[in-house]
Amino acid sequence: MSTKTETGVKRREFLKILGAAGASTAVVGCSSEKVGKLIPYVTSPDNTVPGVSQYYATTCGECATGCGILAETRDGRTIKLEGNPDHPLNRGAICATGLSAVQGLYNPDRFDGPRLKNGAKFDNISWDKAYELLAQKMGEVKSRGQAANVVFINQHETGTLPGFIDGWLSAQGMPAHYSVDSEAPLATIAANQKAYGVEWPKIEFGAAKLVLSFGADFLDGWGSDVPDSMDWADARAKLVGAPTLVYIGGRRSLTGLNADQWIACKPGGEMAICEAITGKQTAAAAAEASGVAVATIEALTAAVKAAGNGVLALCGVSSTDAVECGVMVAEINKANGSVGVTIKPASPQAGFKGIASYADLVAVSERMNAGSVPLAFVRHANPAHTMPKTAGFRDAFAKVPFKVAFSMVPDETASMCDLILPDNHWLESFGDAEISTGVMSLQQPSMDAVFQADAGLKIEGTRATGDVLIEIAKKDTALASKYNVADYRAWYISKYAGGSTAYAVALTKATSAGSPLMTRGSRSSTTMAASAAPALSAQTGDFYVQVFASPTLGHGGGANKPWLQELPDPVTKIAWQSWVEIHPQTAKKMGVMEGDHLKVETAAGSVTAPAYIYMGVRPDTVAISLGQGHTAYGRFAINIGVNAFDLLASGWNSAGGLSLITKGKVSKTADHSQMVTTEGSARQHGRGIGQAMDVAELNGPAVEEHEHDIPGLPSAAFLPGLKSPVAADAQGDFADSESKSLGMYDPKHSSGAEHRRWAMTIDLARCTGCSACVTACYSENNIPTVGAPYQGRALSPGTWDERPGANIIKGREMAWLRIERYYEGNENTENEFSADFDTRFVPMMCQHCGNAPCEPVCPVYATYHSPDGLNVQVYNRCVGTRYCSNNCPYKVRYFNWFGYGEPERKQYAWPSPMHWGLNPDVTVRGKGVMEKCTFCVQRIREGEHRAAAEGRPMKADEFTTACASACPSRAIIFGDAADAEWSVSKMAYDRRAYHVFEELNTFTAVVYLKKVNHPAPAASAKA
Amino acid sequence: MAINPASAGMGVRGPNIASADVQLPAVRDYEQVDREIMGTLGFTKKWFMGLLIAVFFMLIGASAWTYQIYWGLGQAGYEPPVMWGVYIITFVFWVGIGHAGTLISAILYLFRAGFRTSIYRAAEAMTVFAVMTAGLFPIIHIGRPWKFFWLIPYPNWRLLWPNFKSPLVWDVFAISTYLTISTTFLFIGLIPDIAVLRDKETNPMRKRLLGVLSLGWRNSDREWRHFAKAYLFLAAFSTPLVLSVHSVVSFDFAMALTPGWHASIFPPYFVAGAIFSGFAMVWTIAIPMRKWFKLEHYITLNHLDATAKVVLFTSMVVGCAYMIEFFVAWYSGVRAEQEFFWNRVFGQWYWAAWIMLLCNMALPMSLWSQKLRRNPTWLFILSIFINIGMWYERFVIVVPSLSHEFEPWQWGSYTPSWIDMSFLVGSFGWFFMWFLLFVKQMPVMAIAELKEIIAPRTKFAHAHGVDTHGTHAEYDPHTPGEHD
Repeated sequence: MSTKTETGVKRREFLKILGAAGASTAVVGCSSEKVGKLIPYVTSPDNTVPGVSQYYATTCGECATGCGILAETRDGRTIKLEGNPDHPLNRGAICATGLSAVQGLYNPDRFDGPRLKNGAKFDNISWDKAYELLAQKMGEVKSRGQAANVVFINQHETGTLPGFIDGWLSAQGMPAHYSVDSEAPLATIAANQKAYGVEWPKIEFGAAKLVLSFGADFLDGWGSDVPDSMDWADARAKLVGAPTLVYIGGRRSLTGLNADQWIACKPGGEMAICEAITGKQTAAAAAEASGVAVATIEALTAAVKAAGNGVLALCGVSSTDAVECGVMVAEINKANGSVGVTIKPASPQAGFKGIASYADLVAVSERMNAGSVPLAFVRHANPAHTMPKTAGFRDAFAKVPFKVAFSMVPDETASMCDLILPDNHWLESFGDAEISTGVMSLQQPSMDAVFQADAGLKIEGTRATGDVLIEIAKKDTALASKYNVADYRAWYISKYAGGSTAYAVALTKATSAGSPLMTRGSRSSTTMAASAAPALSAQTGDFYVQVFASPTLGHGGGANKPWLQELPDPVTKIAWQSWVEIHPQTAKKMGVMEGDHLKVETAAGSVTAPAYIYMGVRPDTVAISLGQGHTAYGRFAINIGVNAFDLLASGWNSAGGLSLITKGKVSKTADHSQMVTTEGSARQHGRGIGQAMDVAELNGPAVEEHEHDIPGLPSAAFLPGLKSPVAADAQGDFADSESKSLGMYDPKHSSGAEHRRWAMTIDLARCTGCSACVTACYSENNIPTVGAPYQGRALSPGTWDERPGANIIKGREMAWLRIERYYEGNENTENEFSADFDTRFVPMMCQHCGNAPCEPVCPVYATYHSPDGLNVQVYNRCVGTRYCSNNCPYKVRYFNWFGYGEPERKQYAWPSPMHWGLNPDVTVRGKGVMEKCTFCVQRIREGEHRAAAEGRPMKADEFTTACASACPSRAIIFGDAADAEWSVSKMAYDRRAYHVFEELNTFTAVVYLKKVNHPAPAASAKA
Repeated sequence: MAINPASAGMGVRGPNIASADVQLPAVRDYEQVDREIMGTLGFTKKWFMGLLIAVFFMLIGASAWTYQIYWGLGQAGYEPPVMWGVYIITFVFWVGIGHAGTLISAILYLFRAGFRTSIYRAAEAMTVFAVMTAGLFPIIHIGRPWKFFWLIPYPNWRLLWPNFKSPLVWDVFAISTYLTISTTFLFIGLIPDIAVLRDKETNPMRKRLLGVLSLGWRNSDREWRHFAKAYLFLAAFSTPLVLSVHSVVSFDFAMALTPGWHASIFPPYFVAGAIFSGFAMVWTIAIPMRKWFKLEHYITLNHLDATAKVVLFTSMVVGCAYMIEFFVAWYSGVRAEQEFFWNRVFGQWYWAAWIMLLCNMALPMSLWSQKLRRNPTWLFILSIFINIGMWYERFVIVVPSLSHEFEPWQWGSYTPSWIDMSFLVGSFGWFFMWFLLFVKQMPVMAIAELKEIIAPRTKFAHAHGVDTHGTHAEYDPHTPGEHD
């Protein structure tokens, strides 16, 4: 039908070409990035909705306490841990270590399948081959009649699995396993057993009037710190009649900094003070032994007497006489009649049940050294790192002919093993924990194993140790009938009272009544004389050397998790580094500046680390934290700092516990390192950031309220408690809802947003500085860690700064929420030692100012005010002028200096599979943009959407931010201050409320409640 | 043909030639002007070496930029809370340099300051290239330089506009306006000179190009009249810009509440500092130039003396501003402000502050001495000191203020990295590359204007150095401005 000549392009051809060209352009244009799977399910299980989280109740396996966890799982991947509000122990709170379990789960250095040692390397092998090999080795051992000499070392846990392991071992003719935990306070446990008849009585801070802590760091790692922090903060929050705390020890730990008085006694001198209090020694003699003034001891004795049964004395010392000291401390409680009031042996915690001692491990080590151990199993425990060198574990362990590790990561001990049978992470496992007598806390997987058998990827996958033990048993014809179950879970349900139905019900509650389904095998504990450790007085050296567990890294278990490495130590604010704490006076005498390397030598060995000048340590004492100094354990742990265990002699007290106190020499070396610290100035310079008031003032007559209205600002009356006018009518108070013609360009246009003012109160009287909120924020908001050695910058073309924490030295940490730690008083500490100074912990995040200085200076509106009062940052719009940060008085804006969120960049913060733990609700920021606290806007929107979907208004306190949710002392409260129903609007009216830098008229949405200072309980006439 | 429009009754053009500092006794006639000024054009080996060095430095900066864009700004030395560093310092430094040219060509023109004639072309070119250099730095400095156009208000589908409240957006307007106007001004002034070049050019291609650039200038009376009007208009138009540009740049700081920045004195203080540094840079360029190009009898000691007086005056203004800042900090009673200013001179960065005070306040006081004002060597040395001092002034404003703000916990430090330094070096390379290219293509002095101040060879002339018969008088070595 075409009448056109054949020249030229026909219409159809033209359209075809156009279409093809357009399509190819579009394809080329869109396919520059790899197409990835967004949702891991092919067929999604019925109860999952893509983009909606599921929460699995389980039990934390990071320490012996056994807190309840809700694991938030999105589309099959666990992305965040929260405390389980219904759990009797932690009641919804969670600590930094617990939160970081996600990074243990997705750790890039995890074994993805069994390994066989081949020289210095490990070869990948199949599970079948691994089983075969192990069965063969066990057969050999059994046939030689050496089964009784086999050693199984397990990281201490309670619940059923230890019994199951013992059952399996005994079926093989092997002795019960060693349940070890280097961080367990063995002396305290032994003393508790002697004094109260239980391992760990319940501590009742609520009933206490005076708490004496002899080195018992109940807020930073001693015992079960999450429940303790919670009880302590609740007790202190009474303000009137709150317990006061005296901390007795050579170093002021985090708990010490929270104390109302620090009695700086010589390490090992605690016993003398106890004896003085109980009247077994005169105050003068105790003063001589402890280095504390007579008057102070007398005042303390009087205070203890006065407090009656409100006394709560706790002992956490680790010196050679630790058990005796613990018993003596219990004497104080008994003498005051506080047993049953503040200390409740009747309702004990069970976390330390069945623990083996350090002395047991030494005994094992000696047997290994003698060559009598033919086969050794290690599961998660890492004695090669957590024992002093002088104990000789490494050499002894190397002599074991065949070593099997069930560990997930190549830690020091696993690296020495011949066969690795990697266990599942506890977030991938079924199990349980005994949290108190007769109460079990259940563990269930929150997701399928990260590493599953995949022929395509040539991955064998990890397997739960319980399953592996069953498989091995099945290979043995004699045992096959006994272990005729599919796996550990099936075995567990078969034993569970009520079977699978009851179990399914119990899992939803996460706790169940009962005791472990299988009892542990018994083992006669090694009896070794306490004198094996030389008494402190018998040691030589100018300095006491106090080694302590890091509140963030423990004895080293946390070191492979970048969140914990990046989390500044709550006391010193140092990250990614080891340090030696030295008193300013001593430092001045020795001519030591901060960062100068100090060599600490003891009879056992020496370490060299940079000096941190700290007025919370006695002038005759240096203190070193454990946790670093790994030679294995993955990319985030190795070659950072020193292992302070090297300083310790392998001695133990009568509980078989290692003494962490020794004596030694300290000398300055020529080296110097910059401290990897987040601290700018430890003093407030009168800026009123962390404010405090005396309890007497608080309890005194009400002072006339300070009038906060600022003349000339009519909206200052918006919320009396908050004093927060929202900038330029962002709430639309003056809006004309009828305006239609100009739409959003009408200056009086109503945004239609709900009338809200998201706000937060932070109670400094509750905050202990533990920093769990910081890690919670990292986890919730995909904040990159920047301190790993591979994340540095180029120092010249070609050489990179590979110091751990190099970016933090440059002040480039990204913590949206940080805890500022300011000291008050004791200004002359360089010249005169005084134990008397006050510490203010101030959590500082974006204040969401009503009148935000950052907003007007942004040239592209990347930061602006949302209608509900939030100060919003639009990453996509940000060009990175950083003017907003310059203009922020609170300095809470953080810049992406590198492509931390870009997988193809060297500085990528989430090496695979760590990125599986990213929160899909929060953008991962690229380089060159600014970021900051959003008040967890994704949670706000989720709450709003949920309410809207359910067709109801939002309920008061319906949700909260990640920091508030984690906080073990419940210091942070978040909510809508425009709605009187929310707790935050009540808290904001508190007498203690203040805004930081109020004089700048920023009208912040964060209200701080002043810290409450209590008088020193044992203040002598002359302090 | 009206050779001197001023004498043709326009009354708007031409300096007061009676003023002693204007006269060029050693310049005798128009041919000499043409010969000597155009003699500076044409490539030489030394010039080529200089250009190579400049290009090499420029390439250092360019490669640093590529590197920085790939890796991110982390390669620079930023240490939060010091979020602005060498780039912003260098930006303000070059904007400041870019002030002298327009001041000399526009404001001094309006004020009939005769000494501008010999130096204004070089100063104007310097301005254009300095602003071109400065304009790069905000882009280098931002985190996502490929998005810098978001700062420009352009119509877009999403109706997204820049935030007109932000001083950074004002900067965009101020700098781009200033660059446009000073380039136009430079070009307009060049038209008659390009026509001269065209007339002398023998290469047909170049002749044609110069013909286009000169817009077909025919030297007619009418063209001169239009030219004079346009020139006057642009001079009047640029004059407020000279004051506004650096005022706006100072708003980047003054509008923030950072201690050390939040001060209403900033606009005049910055403008004075800019003129001060700009004149110093004029010396840095003009003193070697007059020697190498053998133009000592065009830029005479009288000229240098006159510019030295401007430098002396602006130095005192700047010094006064420094002192007032300390007074205001004390008088405000704001603790953060007081601590900051104490810290400025006795704290972490004390040396930077003292370098600034020495170079900008103390050393220029030497210019009270007429002997030193007429000593080109000293002026050159002083100009280097002032350039350093003014760079440090910006350092002192930017870095210590940010490192010592309200929140003590976030007090920090700052060490520039090799990348920062590459950009600093690169900026000089970039600037001198353009300048060197310019001086060999275009006359560094306004030929037409020079001809205005030397007397034409007519019997009616009364200019110095020419007798009433139009023959040359004997050269008088005692003519003021030549050898004293």
